Amino acid sequence: MMKVLLVDDEQKFALMLAKRLELRGIQTEVFFSGEKALETVEQGHRFAVAILDVKMPGIGGIELKQRLGVLDPRMKFVFLTGHGSKIDYTAGAHEAEEYLPKPLKIDALIATLNRLAEGPPEASNPDP
Amino acid sequence: MDNGKDLFGYDSLAFFGKVNASISHELKNVMAIISETAGLLGDLSDMASNGTPIKPDMLKSCTGSIMEEIQRGFLTIRQMNRFAHSVDTPLESVNLMDVLDLAITLSGYLSFSGKAHLTPCKDRTPTASTCPFLLQAIIYQALVYTFKSTGPDTAIRISLQAQGDAAWRIIFSGFNANAFQKFPDATTRAMAESIGVVFHFDSTINRLALEVPLTIESTTTEQVAPGV
Repeated sequence: MMKVLLVDDEQKFALMLAKRLELRGIQTEVFFSGEKALETVEQGHRFAVAILDVKMPGIGGIELKQRLGVLDPRMKFVFLTGHGSKIDYTAGAHEAEEYLPKPLKIDALIATLNRLAEGPPEASNPDP
Repeated sequence: MDNGKDLFGYDSLAFFGKVNASISHELKNVMAIISETAGLLGDLSDMASNGTPIKPDMLKSCTGSIMEEIQRGFLTIRQMNRFAHSVDTPLESVNLMDVLDLAITLSGYLSFSGKAHLTPCKDRTPTASTCPFLLQAIIYQALVYTFKSTGPDTAIRISLQAQGDAAWRIIFSGFNANAFQKFPDATTRAMAESIGVVFHFDSTINRLALEVPLTIESTTTEQVAPGV
């Protein structure tokens, strides 16, 4: 079962999305702040993909992606944004494998998660 | 454009744009929650169609959530409307509590915003004849600087104090003095000067006061028009 990390300060949104992912067989751990998500990964919990909101109080999605990437270089990232603006993109959102605007299309998100979890060709993602 | 009639044309527009962007973000979040909740209801319907028993509480929770978000959306639109109308009249008698309430609400849409507690003014209605839009912009900037410097866990206290019959003081407290190292910037200072607002900052007690004159008769209407 695929395991994903979902971080969004919009609590209701995160919980609803998590339920929908769970119904589709994707194990989802939800956090409402970047700080809490970091703590969990620091403790050794691992996720195939992290779905991160770009704009959050405290540690925002872009910084969180960089810090999580250090802790787990294999983790893939999807950014969510309510803005969908060029500002987010140029601020570093382009570093994520995917960048999806809210409101989401669940089928598109699932397809993205499946593609990312399968990973790129081996040559570009070698095992350590 | 005649600068005498449009002192803060671009800066006013920039402020207006920034606030509208934060409101649109809030509305997009509301729509995102409604969208996900409606999607979950769709998922549950599909499951029910396939014979999986669905608990009525789950359906109630989803519809309740949608109703709550619709109310949140209406409230946001109402604030957007209040803000949009703040440019209607360049000079107007305003209730400062209303201006503060709106500025606090609007700053609350920013991702880094903390909490701001406004103490009601019990003695008398705090009115001032001023430019509502510029006063709004100054107070909003004060809140933005505070939240940016002190983070989302901040709880600012805001109160009003009469200064005889000449002015009202809007007092910000409950934050670290560092918050106002860069405040006010040149634009905010110029906006304040144009409507006679004076900044009093006391770093020993971590307090900022904005002194708002009861009237700005010495400043012409043309000078304070935000250029819209």
